[in-house]
Amino acid sequence: MAESKKMLRVEISRFDPDRDEVPKTQEYEIPVQDDWKVLDAINYIKDEVDPSISHRWSCRMAVCGSCGMMLNGEPKLTCKTPLSDYDETIKIEPLANFPIVRDLVVDMDGFMDKFRKVKPWIVRAKARAEDMEDLNEKGTFSQSPDQLATFKQFSMCINCLLCYAACPVIANEPEFIGPAAIALGHRYNLDSRDEGQAERNSIFRGEGTVFSCSFANECSEVCPKNVDPAAAVNQAKLAAVVDWAKGLVLPREGA
Amino acid sequence: MTRAAHPEAMAPPKKGPTRTAPPRMPGSWWGAPRIRTYLLFGATGVVYFLAGTVVLHLVWALGKGPDAWATVMASLSHPLYLVFHALTLISVLFVGIRAFGTMMPKMQPRGGPLPVLAPGLVRGLIYSAWAALTLVFSLILAGKIGS
Amino acid sequence: MVQVSRHDIVIVGGGGAGLRAAIAAAEANPDLSIALVSKVYPMRSHTVSAEGGAAAIARDDDNEELHGFDTVKGSDFLGDQDVIEYFVENAPRELALLENWGCPWSRNEDGSVSTRAFGGMSTKRTWYATDKVGFHMLHALFQHSLRFDNIVRYDEFFVTKLLVEDGRCQGVAALEIRTGEFHAILGRSVILATGGAGKIFPFTTNGTIKTGDGMALAYQAGVALKDMEFVQYHPTGLPGTGILITEAARGEGGYLRNNKDERFLVDYDYGVGDKAELGPRDMVSRAIIQEFEAGRGFEGRYGKYCVVDLRHLGEKHIDAKLPFVRELAKIYIGVDPVHEYIPIRPVVHYMMGGVDTDINAATELPGLFAAGEVACASLNGANRLGSNSLTECLVFGAVAGRNAIEFAQGAGEGNSSALVSQAEEEAARVEALRGNGRGNEKIAGLRHEMNSTMEAGCGVYRMQESMQIAATETRSIRKRAADLHLKDSSRVFNTEIVSALELQNMVELAEVLAVSAAHRKESRGAHTCRDYPTRDDQSFLYHTLAHRTDDGPRLGRKEVKLGHWEPQERKY
Repeated sequence: MAESKKMLRVEISRFDPDRDEVPKTQEYEIPVQDDWKVLDAINYIKDEVDPSISHRWSCRMAVCGSCGMMLNGEPKLTCKTPLSDYDETIKIEPLANFPIVRDLVVDMDGFMDKFRKVKPWIVRAKARAEDMEDLNEKGTFSQSPDQLATFKQFSMCINCLLCYAACPVIANEPEFIGPAAIALGHRYNLDSRDEGQAERNSIFRGEGTVFSCSFANECSEVCPKNVDPAAAVNQAKLAAVVDWAKGLVLPREGA
Repeated sequence: MTRAAHPEAMAPPKKGPTRTAPPRMPGSWWGAPRIRTYLLFGATGVVYFLAGTVVLHLVWALGKGPDAWATVMASLSHPLYLVFHALTLISVLFVGIRAFGTMMPKMQPRGGPLPVLAPGLVRGLIYSAWAALTLVFSLILAGKIGS
Repeated sequence: MVQVSRHDIVIVGGGGAGLRAAIAAAEANPDLSIALVSKVYPMRSHTVSAEGGAAAIARDDDNEELHGFDTVKGSDFLGDQDVIEYFVENAPRELALLENWGCPWSRNEDGSVSTRAFGGMSTKRTWYATDKVGFHMLHALFQHSLRFDNIVRYDEFFVTKLLVEDGRCQGVAALEIRTGEFHAILGRSVILATGGAGKIFPFTTNGTIKTGDGMALAYQAGVALKDMEFVQYHPTGLPGTGILITEAARGEGGYLRNNKDERFLVDYDYGVGDKAELGPRDMVSRAIIQEFEAGRGFEGRYGKYCVVDLRHLGEKHIDAKLPFVRELAKIYIGVDPVHEYIPIRPVVHYMMGGVDTDINAATELPGLFAAGEVACASLNGANRLGSNSLTECLVFGAVAGRNAIEFAQGAGEGNSSALVSQAEEEAARVEALRGNGRGNEKIAGLRHEMNSTMEAGCGVYRMQESMQIAATETRSIRKRAADLHLKDSSRVFNTEIVSALELQNMVELAEVLAVSAAHRKESRGAHTCRDYPTRDDQSFLYHTLAHRTDDGPRLGRKEVKLGHWEPQERKY
């Protein structure tokens, strides 16, 4: 394990609200191993050099979504990004566009609020499973592989927030509900088991949602799970308009 | 992270229990290559606006009579104009590829009555239509058809 | 000053079991207030990393007798058969509910839910959503939970103590990580759903949050831990990182190979023909170690390894059924399983043991319930079958939720001031730890020591002597963990103090594990002693209980609930 120790300069953004007015940068020079990810370097510093660094991480296999940070200005999952992508220096900062709580930790509460706004659950006229109609004898809905494929991609979001850090609209328009939340709402709209399209489409026609998107496509560029939120947002635009147009011509059910 | 984002960007609905540092934007616009692409993409709007004024100028000349038309047409081969034509062509190609080639195919509505085509197929159709239209207009301008 | 809040029930842990419990409780009575306390945002919980699937009868060729017996046999007859019967009976309903709530289960052409083969399961009964089952289940549960207004979340709150007064559990004391402030979160009943403790070991599939906090909380409150010696090694983890390569890789038809390029499991008789690779995890892990010892392992920078061979499945099948395996192998080890072997070794995956619970998810402490990996309802006995645990989170999460509500409705308010003063004492204890600047032990150093002690003493194969050494060393490590040196004195998002508290939890459990293991002089399921190579039903057909004393665990025993499946030799 001891072979080929290379030295790397790591610049980490530090901020403690009780001591610092604004974030400052601290530099560390550490030995790194060639198969390390960026997260391994941060953990090495925390374990061996400076235990006061705060960062979030857990699964270290790119699925829990905790460890998104800005690496040399690009939003990345640190557990997925190899250190070998960086030559002598790497600059690690908290995710852009989020208020900074401490060091590499950002305030996610704004996201959690937006996330819930799109009603990210199966909406049914009769919500309790016991009362649901169309269930088969095994108690499940029937859903063909094609119906599943319609929304599957948009269900792969790990809520890592890289798309929010990359989105130029978020940076300028705080109301914007953002790529991950819209992709999730759109995922449920496309699910054959869901009956909430009208509710969500009316949310999507509101201020600060899909039509705030200027199709910069940044979210899809940085998404570590190939969810392609830009596609979801722009499909949702079309669906929201079609739904609105239908409402003009056809009488609304139950309205 | 050289610039501040909107002070309220991704701020929680009610203020958090501890003081936070304000959100920062990812990089300066020129420093972040992907944002640079996006902004250049937006900036092509300026080129189209200018190209539009040129077209208006042509229409105006057309109304003025053959002499004015000939003068304006001659002025179009001025070296500065040639540079502008090249810029317009680059802008058209850029937007054509980015917006119509890359982005449009993934906007196809899902779960509706229409089938979702493979992105490559949509791209192919769009590019074919583009090529066909270019050909038709070139032939018209060259006087081969419609004259 | 602690901040006091009051709810009807308090759930600690926001993964599969905790969320299921919260939903069950919220559904049972919309007027009751449910606190969901987790040290991470719920969607970060480690349920997210489960890959292969969740077991429940789905096909016509399957029935409760088969699933029940597979589980009993998998447990090496240490499973409680009443619990197993309840589990197999309720499993299909729970997975169907999750389907109703949006989980994107993979489907057959006819629109029904598809199932796949898994180790130790006699037929295809593992429901799956490609190979990201835990991820999809967790997100479906979390998103569904958002519709209930009576679930009040405490995200990023670290629970440090159960508040016990008047002989029953009535809340928790918790550190709010964001502010550094202390909270007394009171409720008339409490559910632990904090998961396992894989981070006691150096090579584990578990994420860094899996530090056994709930087990330690219960243990410190005087509740017994049960069967802690049984630690599941997953046969196929990536060397070095321990990242999980799902058992579905074998279930979908993958082979294990040694350095002679042989499908060596064919010689171990865990299954015939296509089923050669479908042995249960304890046995396959032992087979791999035997290959290493016979000189048939590959040598790598992280020690010996064998390989998983998926090449014959073809790119299309791999992308359809095992896309995450392909992604993980590419990112973390730089191989593409379509063309290359994936290096693997057995890594710690799951704790069969945990807080002693019964079929009602209740512990010996009134008002305290537990479900999921933190609990030991004795569904899994001495070895868990792959894909039973995700279902266990749902079945017993729901049981815990409903029973906690029922208990809460019959319980009084309790003595708030006594509870709050307990929380204040606890706040003072934790406060004294923060950035103490004294102490002689480094968190990372002691963690490494604990890790290597456990690896040496309580691995796949164990020896009396090595377990005794581990027991002695973990005792001294536990004592030394009281003398940690902390440097970070800041109030806001101080992760050093969280790491310290987690380490103090883990060292308690490491000791219980080693002591329980040394005590069991037989080989059963995942507990394999070289010096006692056979199962001994005469002397050891019982559960090990461990109660806390300051001098280490006091061991006891609890009867195994047998039923109509008589213990027999475990052959596949």
